[in-house]
Amino acid sequence: MLDLFIANNIICRAVEAMLFASIACSILGVIITQMNISSIGFTMAHAAFAGAAAGLFFGVDGTIAAILASLTLALLLGPLSDKARMPTDTILGILFGMTMAVAIFFIAYMQYHTTGVNTSALLFGNVISLYRSDIYALAVISILAVLFVIVFFKEITAVIFNRKIAEASGIRVRPILYAILFMIAITVALSIHIIGGLLLYVWLVTPAAIAYQFCNSVRGLFILAPAVAGTVSVTGAWIGLSYSLPVAPLIAVSFSALFVIAVIISPKRRVPKGVPQGK
Amino acid sequence: MTKGMIQLSDVQTAYEGSALPVIRGISCSINPGEFVIIGGPNGAGKTTLLETINGLLPIVSGRVVTGGIDVAKDGNSVRRRVGYVIQNFSFDPLAPFIVSDVVMMGRFGLLGYGRRPGEEDRRIAEEAMDLLGIRDLADRPIGKLSGGQQQKVLIAQSLAKQPDILLLDEPFSNLDLATRDFICGILADLTRRGCTIVMVSHAFDALPENGSIRVIVMNDGTITFNNTCSASEVEGRVRGLSGRSNA
Repeated sequence: MLDLFIANNIICRAVEAMLFASIACSILGVIITQMNISSIGFTMAHAAFAGAAAGLFFGVDGTIAAILASLTLALLLGPLSDKARMPTDTILGILFGMTMAVAIFFIAYMQYHTTGVNTSALLFGNVISLYRSDIYALAVISILAVLFVIVFFKEITAVIFNRKIAEASGIRVRPILYAILFMIAITVALSIHIIGGLLLYVWLVTPAAIAYQFCNSVRGLFILAPAVAGTVSVTGAWIGLSYSLPVAPLIAVSFSALFVIAVIISPKRRVPKGVPQGK
Repeated sequence: MTKGMIQLSDVQTAYEGSALPVIRGISCSINPGEFVIIGGPNGAGKTTLLETINGLLPIVSGRVVTGGIDVAKDGNSVRRRVGYVIQNFSFDPLAPFIVSDVVMMGRFGLLGYGRRPGEEDRRIAEEAMDLLGIRDLADRPIGKLSGGQQQKVLIAQSLAKQPDILLLDEPFSNLDLATRDFICGILADLTRRGCTIVMVSHAFDALPENGSIRVIVMNDGTITFNNTCSASEVEGRVRGLSGRSNA
């Protein structure tokens, strides 16, 4: 898609993959952070991580296994917290521990028994050996994420503002929540091979947290977060591959540094100067 | 004339996961344009009753018909037409919501999926802000307003729905006396225009002494008093119940 502008095929694919993954993750990240359900994104990322590790172990396509694992978790989340009669955060904590343990079990087993399977991409991401189909899938999910926000903007805004008020306004909150979970599940599963299971959470949370420092409207968040994520990810992929640096960790560190700067210069946190006495 | 009517027949409601019903065997009827105040001690089931009327809680038994619609069958249609001001709210000072956006949310349920608010919706939202005297706050983030101003914004949001029925849960909790009287005036005007108002409140001194307002007193999930009465009479009844429940 960007071949016209980037001659190097490897860098071109890496830039495309990072661009689409960061757009989808950051858009969903705005919803996750504003709804205070970051732990759902965190757990979902690790479910995809566990699924991909299990896929590698059993010789199944890692992306399909990751999608299945994160979708299963998304489907289980609601009924499980209803039946267990426990706070969702507790359920998520348990599921996070379980998915992390499953992922570590398969990765450790494959490394211990030297099966010849390279598991480092699952942990830290790999932007070099990407197929065209991976990039197309990411392009589709990022377009779907954008369309989802455009079509259901008012419903998403109301749910983010206050779930109870949204429901009392006659908005069907549950289908919106399920759609959000479904989108997160697919996005994290498709992004895991590029970004890595350990770092995916940064893409889901940090761009939205950076945008939050500057925006007074939800619309602004949905524009600024993907803009920041896309710019940092594309620049990071380009620099990382040009200077043989690990791409995903480089971008993750850049996001974190940018977040610190954003907090320092945030106009929302500025204390208005007092009016001098006698005036 | 069913638009503003509320009918409850032997209703029991329970929260999800709760073994015991919170309100038990309540029957009552509220007519269009009536102003009803619900009082009672803490935990009496007042908020639960509002959420039952609004279809926000599952009905264990009995029947609730709000505005001519059975809430168990089509709660969402009920909620689109009923304004509801919640009791507990708190907003992050940095939250990305300005007042005009929050008031406009009152129109969202009426629009349906995929439709954006139009010029008419904007006009109605602005009218609601004008009515509450918060037009000058339109571009301010809601999290940076005082509790009383936030309360006014939420009332304006409910009014932007142009509801036939308005449910208010402790709407005066953050308001000073002057603002409370101002809001009371707006509510009285709404009832004159045919809007039914059901309000949970402990501010009985706001009631007119001539006893023209219906008062429902609740205790332990049941209705113990349901009639028009004066402020002093209802305050005495509620105090008596509070004393018993605290003993």
